[in-house]
Formats: sequence, structure tokens, C-alpha cells
Amino acid sequence: MKNEKINVLLVDDDKDLCALLQEFLEGDGFSVDAIHSGDEAIKTLLNTEKYDTVVLDIMMPGISGLDVLKSVRAEKQTPILMLTGRGDDIDRIVGLELGADDYLPKPCNPRELGARIRAIIRRTQYLKATPSASLSELHGIYLDLGARQATVNGKSLALTGAEFNALSYLMERVGQTISKQEMTQEVLKRPLEAYDRAMDVHVSRIRQKLAAAGVKNVIKSVRGVGYQMLTAPQQSE
Amino acid sequence: MVSKVKWTDIKTNLGFKRLFWRIFVAFWVASLAVMAATGYVLVNEYTASSYNKRFLDDATNQAERIVWRYEHEAFTNGRARSEIKEWVKRRNGRENQLIPMLISTPDNEVVYHYRLNKVPEEHRITREIYGPSNNRYVAQFRQPQTPRIYKQVLSRFQSIQFVFIFLASALVSALLSWSIVKPIKYLGAFSRKYANDQTATPVPSQLLTRGDELSDLAADINFMVSKTADAIGAQQRLLHDVSHELRAPLARLQASAAIIEQHQPKNKHVLQIHNDCQRMDQLIQQILNFSTLEQTPQKAEPCDIIALCNRVLDDMAVNYPGIPTTLTFNQSREEDAIINGFPEALHQALDNIVGNACKYSNKGQPVAIDVAFSTNSVVIVVKDNGIGVDDAEIEKLMQPFYRAGNQMHTEGFGLGLTIALKAVEKHAGTLVMQSPAEGGLRVKITLPKNAPTHL
Repeated sequence: MKNEKINVLLVDDDKDLCALLQEFLEGDGFSVDAIHSGDEAIKTLLNTEKYDTVVLDIMMPGISGLDVLKSVRAEKQTPILMLTGRGDDIDRIVGLELGADDYLPKPCNPRELGARIRAIIRRTQYLKATPSASLSELHGIYLDLGARQATVNGKSLALTGAEFNALSYLMERVGQTISKQEMTQEVLKRPLEAYDRAMDVHVSRIRQKLAAAGVKNVIKSVRGVGYQMLTAPQQSE
Repeated sequence: MVSKVKWTDIKTNLGFKRLFWRIFVAFWVASLAVMAATGYVLVNEYTASSYNKRFLDDATNQAERIVWRYEHEAFTNGRARSEIKEWVKRRNGRENQLIPMLISTPDNEVVYHYRLNKVPEEHRITREIYGPSNNRYVAQFRQPQTPRIYKQVLSRFQSIQFVFIFLASALVSALLSWSIVKPIKYLGAFSRKYANDQTATPVPSQLLTRGDELSDLAADINFMVSKTADAIGAQQRLLHDVSHELRAPLARLQASAAIIEQHQPKNKHVLQIHNDCQRMDQLIQQILNFSTLEQTPQKAEPCDIIALCNRVLDDMAVNYPGIPTTLTFNQSREEDAIINGFPEALHQALDNIVGNACKYSNKGQPVAIDVAFSTNSVVIVVKDNGIGVDDAEIEKLMQPFYRAGNQMHTEGFGLGLTIALKAVEKHAGTLVMQSPAEGGLRVKITLPKNAPTHL
């Protein structure tokens, strides 16, 4: 691991910015390639396993970052970090719903970008290191932590990487209220920021998916604090 | 409250200053006047001529009888008049039916005279009468006086026909008035709707095909609408493009600074560049927020005020860890916390106000949000114990880019409160700021439960 550099693919139509970020990230110890159009990014990502993570700009002419995300997620689970316009909450939420692992408002301090990439990598590696036999079960939800498979009452449940982590983190601590700070730190491997909705979106997506599979009212929002996996489903009013 | 509003509404609609009533009354009065005048002339002509004819017939008749009697009875001069008077009275029954007249022979011998001496010469009519022996006499009568005509017209006014005419003319006037006022009202409503929702469709074609001045007005309004749409579109595109174009070099600048930082980790100028980049980015964001608030037409949706406050306080806890915050509200009425409004705008408003409260407080000074519910509104009070604002400056705080005199050097742009005020106004709510004597600042936001969709 030490000798092996993290391979990052930068997808942004701004060539100058890509060159600068490439220089910075390489100076920071990453191995970086850059692509400047959406369709090229889709082709590259679907044909190679080389990249550990992708930094994807949403605003690109032609095929947008969201389109790239959709096409890639349909086939691969490569961790993807979205660069969104600051304040474009909709883009962020859509990005996370489509399976992005995290987002970063643009323009950003490249140091922050480096830290986020490391957080994503830490997360995927932590998951790979988790013993494969481990199995978690609650409310009819089965999580195979080794195979990273979720099933509800025998039917498989499609969760993104971040959603799977969040769900397993909550299930392992059933009955406890977990703060948003803790969830963000432990699940996304980075500190919570102001105006950070990533965890909220992940949890709300988990709720929707569980509800669609028939498991309702098992995750409670504790106002001003965070989330709690209930020991028994809450009776809906 | 609701009934009050409705009543004033009705009052303004019934007000006689309204164009509808003015046109209606003008047309109605005019049509009634025309009808009355026509009626008057017709009745006058008719009655006058028939009355004259009857009068002259009667008078001639009476004169002929007098002459007939005069010739047959051969009265002496003195007796003749009184005898004939008696006789005519007997035949007619009433004295006032005696027609004033003077009958004389051609050589001016008076045969009969009754009350004509008071009538001046120019009001007399002269007729020739022939007696049974074919003798010629001259009879003078008073010119026929037609009875007062308005009495006759008035008597017709009370008839059923007239009531019918009255109602019909009222109906026609009302229809005419409505046909003028309705398109004006429609265009007014259209303009109001358009002012708030630029996606509204243009004026419907039935107004454009009327062919009168109102359809010209409708066409002009359509023209204005298309021009405004172009202008708004251009402005939005410009803002969007400018912000995007400004952010691209900003991102490159930050990346360059970061590369320099890699080579010279302790360079304080790089830190300065990073800070300024961040500041510029925030400014671009605020200007975008501001213009979005002003322009984007939105549909009101349910927003949970308590959830919004919690969201804002969560962010404050991360941004200002040293400021203790509290949120108080009546737990038993929590369902009242949901209002119809624009969540993003409200979030921006609360975020800016609570953010200001935290920013201008020192470590340990608490910031409190208090939410109170009533049937029609939600009142949010944000209170801090920070440095406060001079009373003289409170008004100016809402102006874009204005910053209080004691705050020229704190971080910010002076847009926060302007954005907050815009957002509150978008909900038809109010925002009041006070600097209480005990210090700090108290911001009170009142939001109606239903944001007006037309505002």
C-alpha cells in the first residue's frame, strides 16, 4: 500500500484547472489523470479498473457530471466525489441520490480535495479489511458485511457504498442516538461541516429504500442531535 | 380579520368611483334622459294638436249654438248675454266649461261676451260663424292653452311599460359597462399575476380579436410581457454566466495558491490568497442568492419552521462552537410549525439572521430562537447578547452592502439582512429589528401561515 499511489481520475472541462489540480495532487502523493469531457469519462471508467476514485465536476458542457455518474453507477461502484457549484443543493442531493460517495463545493481549497479523496479511500479500504464472515441482522434486514450485500426479508436491497456503511453503523449501535458529527466522521471518514447535508441525504435514501422493501419507521431522527436505529419499529401516527 | 378584508374588498368594488359604476350610471342616465325627451316631444306634439283641435271644435260649436239661439229668439241686446249664458250653463252643467268668447255682428254689435276682456288681443283667435239665416258673425276665443305637459308625461311614467323600459335600459347599460370594464379588470389581474409569475401565459386571444382600443391595450401588454421575459432571461443568464465565469478563475487561483503552499508551507501571502478566494466565493454566492430570491418564480410548499431552525442551529454549532444556542417553542402546538412557504428562502433568511447573531456575539454569550404560533401566523424571535446596533442604524441595515459603523472590519458583505428581508417579504411577512436597552439585538420575523401565491 505504501509504495502504491492512489490513482485519481479528474473529470472537469476546465483544462487549466485540471492541470493545476493534477500538479497539486501529484505533489500530495496521488497519481492523477485528467479527462475533459463527459463521454470520454464514461468510456474510460467503464473500460478500466485503474482508478481508485473519481473527482467529477457536475457542470460540464454536453454530457454533465450527473450523466457520467448515472452511467458509471449502473455498472461500477468506483468511489466518486462530485464537485458542485456552491449553493446548488439540488445538484448535491441528486448527486448523492444517484450514488455519489461525497461532494465538495467548487471552488474549493485543493487541500480539502486531497483530504476528501483520502477519506473516501480510507473508507473503502476499511471496508475491504472488515472480516468477511460478519453478518448483521435487525428488523428483517440482513447485512453481509463481507460481501457488502444487503437483503430485506430475502430480497436484495441495492445500497450505495455510503448508504451501506451508514446503515451498518446504525444497526451495530441499535438503540443509541448517533450524532451527525459522529456519523459523518465514522461513515464518511471526514469531519462534519456547516451546511453539510451528505449524511441527511444518505439516511433519507436508506429510509426510502427500506420503506419500499416494507421496513418502515426503524430509523428515527433525533432533532438537533442525529439518528437512532430503533429497537422496535415506531408506530406511525 | 378575514371578514374585514372581504368587506373592504366589497366596498372598493361597490365604490362609485369604480369605472363600472361610472359608465353604468352615465349610460343609464343618458338613455333615460333620451327616452324621456323623446317621450316628452311625442306626447307634447300629439296632445297639443289634438287638444287644440278639440278646443276649437268645442268653441266653434258653442258659438254656432249661441248664434242660432240669438237669431231665433231675437233677444234684446241687454238680455241676450245673460240669457245665453244661462242657456249654455244649463246645457253644459258647469260654468267653468263656458269658453270665454266674444261674438259680434260684422258691424261690431256685440251679441255675446263672456270673460274675454282679460285676454290680450294677441292671444285671441278669430273665427267666422254663419247663423241659420246665413248671416255672418265674428267670434273671438282665447288661444287654446295646452294643459301642463309634464303632468301627462309623468302619468305615463307610472305605467308598467315605463318600468319595463327602465329595467331594460338598466340591463343594457350594465351589459355595456361590463363589456368595457371586464377586459380592463382581466388585464389588471393578468398584470398582477404576471408580476409574480413570469411563466404566465400571454393574454388570451379573444381579448386580442375584439378589434377595439382594449385589444390594442392587450396587444401592448403582450408586447411588454415578451420584452420583460427577454430582459429577465437575459439578466438571469448574465448572472449565471458571470458567477460561473468568476468562479472558474477563482478555482484556478486557489489551486495555484495551494501549489505554492506545497513548496513554501509557511507563506503567509498564500494564506491571504486563500482567505480572499473564500471571501470572493461567498460574495458571488450571496449575490446569486439575492438575485434568485428576486426573480425565480416558485410554488409555495410546506415548510417546518422548527425543523428549519434546528437545521440552522446545527450549522451554527459547527461554525460557532463557542456560542450556546437554544430553541424554545410550545411543544404541544408543534403541528402549527408547518407553514406554506419557500423553504430555501426561509432557510437563507434564518441562516443569515442567526448567523449574524452568532457572529456578533462573544464566546459564551447565548443566542436564543423563540418560536410562537398563532392561528394565522408564526413568529420567530432571534435574540443575542452581542454588541447590538445603534437605533439610528437599524433601518439602514437592510440596505444592500450597508454595514453598521461598529462592524466595518468584521467579515461579511452587508447582504445578509437584505436577503433575509427579501425572503420574509416574499412570504408577505414582516421583519422588525430592535436593540433592547439591556444590549444585543432582537430580530422578530412574523410569517403568515400561507405565503401569498400571487405575491
